[in-house]
This record gives sequence, C-alpha cells and structure tokens, in this order.
Amino acid sequence: MKTKQYSAKIFEIELENEDGFISFFDKNYLFFQNNLIVINGQESDKIKNYLDSKDLKYVFNLDIPVQKKQKTNLEPIQKAQEKKEEPKVKPIEKAKTNLKVLDKLIRSGQEVKLDGDLLLLNRVNSGGSIIINGTLIVTQIVDGSIRCNGDFMMLQASSKANIVFHDVEVDNKFLQDKLNRVELINNEIVITPALKETSWV
Amino acid sequence: MGIVIAVISGKGGVGKTTTTANIGLGIAQNDKKCVVVDFDIGQRNLDMLLGLENRVVYDMVHVMDDGIGLKQALIKSKMSPNLSFLAASQTKDKSVLDSDKISKLVSGLKEEFDFVILDAPAGIESGYEHTIEFADRALVVVNPEVSSIRDSDRAIGILDSKSKKVKDGQEVDKFLIINRIDSKMVQSGEMLNSDDILEILSIPLIGKIPEDKGIIDASNQGKPIILDENSKAGQAYQRVASRICGEKVDFVDVESHKESFMQKVKGIFK
Repeated sequence: MKTKQYSAKIFEIELENEDGFISFFDKNYLFFQNNLIVINGQESDKIKNYLDSKDLKYVFNLDIPVQKKQKTNLEPIQKAQEKKEEPKVKPIEKAKTNLKVLDKLIRSGQEVKLDGDLLLLNRVNSGGSIIINGTLIVTQIVDGSIRCNGDFMMLQASSKANIVFHDVEVDNKFLQDKLNRVELINNEIVITPALKETSWV
Repeated sequence: MGIVIAVISGKGGVGKTTTTANIGLGIAQNDKKCVVVDFDIGQRNLDMLLGLENRVVYDMVHVMDDGIGLKQALIKSKMSPNLSFLAASQTKDKSVLDSDKISKLVSGLKEEFDFVILDAPAGIESGYEHTIEFADRALVVVNPEVSSIRDSDRAIGILDSKSKKVKDGQEVDKFLIINRIDSKMVQSGEMLNSDDILEILSIPLIGKIPEDKGIIDASNQGKPIILDENSKAGQAYQRVASRICGEKVDFVDVESHKESFMQKVKGIFK
C-alpha cells in the first residue's frame, strides 16, 4: 500500500453570489495557485469551468478536519493571507494622497521625517535616519536608523542598523537576508521574509 | 577659466593635505597651471609638505583683508614652475572667512590658473563650508575604515546642500580617493575593500593610493612622494593627477598582495 501525507494550504470561501465570487478571483487568483480552495455553497458548472480555466484546485463543501487547538494555530496564517490581499487594494487608494517616492541616498547626518508613506529606492547609510508615521519600503540595504509607526515596513538591514517599529526595537538578525516584511499582528511583531529574490525592475 | 577642486574628507588625518600637495604637483607636471590653497586657517601645514616652510610672507588673509595683491602672496614652487601656493594664516582663525571675500579670491585665482585646489580643514564647521562653497569639483579622501567613511558621507551630504553650485541648481562632481590601502589587510578581510566603500558613498572612484611608509619621510623633507618614481603611492598619485587632467588612465590593482619569490622562500623557513 502506498500512502502519502501532506500539509497543504487551504483557502475556505463562502459562495453566495457567483458574479461576486468570480470578480474576487479575477483579482486575487494568483495568491491561491498553491492552495486548495474549499467552497461552501451551491455547486455550479459556471464556477467549476471558471476555476478550471484558472488552473486552480478546489473542492465543494468539504468539512475541514481541524482540531480546536490547531485551529488557533492556523488563524495567523489565514490572517497573514488576508493581509496580503489588502495591500492590493488599499495602498493604491493611499498612493493618491500621501505616498512619497524618493530615490536619494540618505547619508550620515541626514534625516527624513514624513507623515505619510515612503518608498525609498536607495540606501540608508550609517548615521542617516528615517522617522515615519506611515508604511515604509526601502529597496536597498539599511545601515542607519529607522523609526516606523505604519501598517508595515519592508526592508533589509545590516547588523549595524537600528530598526524600531511601533516603539519596539526589532532584532537585526531577522532582517539581514533579503527583503523582509515587518508588520504588527495582534500586538505582536511578525517578520516574514520575502519569499523570492525581489527584482526591482 | 580654471576649475576649482576642493579636497575634503570630514575626518582628520586621512591624508587630505598630502593628497593636495601630491596632486597639485602632479597636475603641474602635466603642464597645467595649478595653484594649491591651504584653507585650514590657523593650522597651516601644506607649506611644509611642499618644502615652502619659511618662504611665506603674505597669506590669504592678507590678500582678503589688507589689500595685498595675489601676485605678491602667491609663492612659486621650486619643484615645478607651473605650481603656485597660497598659504593659510597661522595667526588668525576660521572666523575671518566670509563668503564675499572668498568669492573674490577664488575668482581671481580662476583667471590665473587652470586648476585651483583647495585643501579643506578637517571637520564640517564654517571653515569647511567656506572651502566647498565655490568648488566645481570635490575630491573626497577616505581611509578604508568605518569612521572615515561615515565622516566623508556626512561631508558629502553637506557639500550637496550648501555649495553655491548646488544652490544654483547644478551638481558638484565628486570623486573618491581611497588612501592608505594596506593590501595585506584587505586580503585578510580586516580592511574594507573598495567595492564596499564605493557602494556606501556611491560616487565615482578616481584613485586608490596604497599605504607607503615613504610618505612620512617625504613630508618631513618637504618633497611630495610623487617625485619618487619608485614609490607605489607616488605612482598612484601620478595616475590620479593625469585622470584629473582628463587623460584616460587604467586602474591598477593595489589591493591584491603579491609576495616576491624571496619573500616566499623566507616564508618557508619561518
């Protein structure tokens, strides 16, 4: 007998309105390519054909066998997934108002203070600092100091840097490889490394 | 119209004055008229390195304040007829400097010479700000160590916000000289290598000068090391001077350490 055991990512969704369902997947189907989608609701050919065309794996009305304890463990994962969807919509709205894009090397002694969001396309050198109330993304290495109070920040910091997120100092050793995403979930700071090597074209 | 080049570093003791003396002489040897000006008011050094120690009669403060003519104050170097020197005052301090006077002095020098090289004081105070104010280019001198790099980073930041050219909407061209490179230490990883430094400061490189013990003796005797054709540092300064004059000179690797055959043989018996 040949058996295999998997722990797969499952995305559960309530099917109420077919058009709403399809438009949601039109926007977000990329996130679910490696997930098993569990649909609770009425099976229909329209939905099936649509999901097949997007090459997604799905089942209808499956009772997911999760134990109570595991369920609490699973929650953050789901939350994190939901969060990933959010930036798709929200920052665009924000971008119209207070996103600032800066391609300037922050040298020693220079300080950038901002109330909005910042996308910095350059380095922060030792002795330079950024103080920001919004979201922060830095595409090159940070050697200086960062104070960020936004929803999340994405950066890669060297061991010399001093990174403070919502008044808590973040340990640099988690930020050293590649680009990392730092966010506040349930009053806990969660650091997720960017999965793939980001290529900023 | 001449080109004004400020030699800056932020940190003291990295070799600004030595670099100024050598590059000034190197440019003069390339048949360009060059003047080196010591902007370190109150701490005059450049005259010693050029071997002009006791020949200073009038300094730049005399020119700016007392109506002494430039021709009277400029001292011709013994080593090259193309090189002149304008001394800093030894008795006054940096507070005597003011923008209008410096502007007048610098434009006077620009008419006479192809290159005007200003030796900035260490630090980032008013003396430094006055030196960079009218510069067209800047030579940033660093040593391969973190504190020197951070200070230069700061100095570049100030240059980019306070020089006149920047205020007029132009940019001051900045070039990096990495001084006192010890090839052995770079290879063993104790010293930062030039790629790291270039990434941090992100300005183009114009020369790498290896550490050379001969420089101390050269300074004491008032004969810049560039006159010593066998010195590695002297050759490196020569290349930098040629690059400043617009020649294309290939970069020479001064960071890899090569042992001679005899050193290898000695190594076996250690």
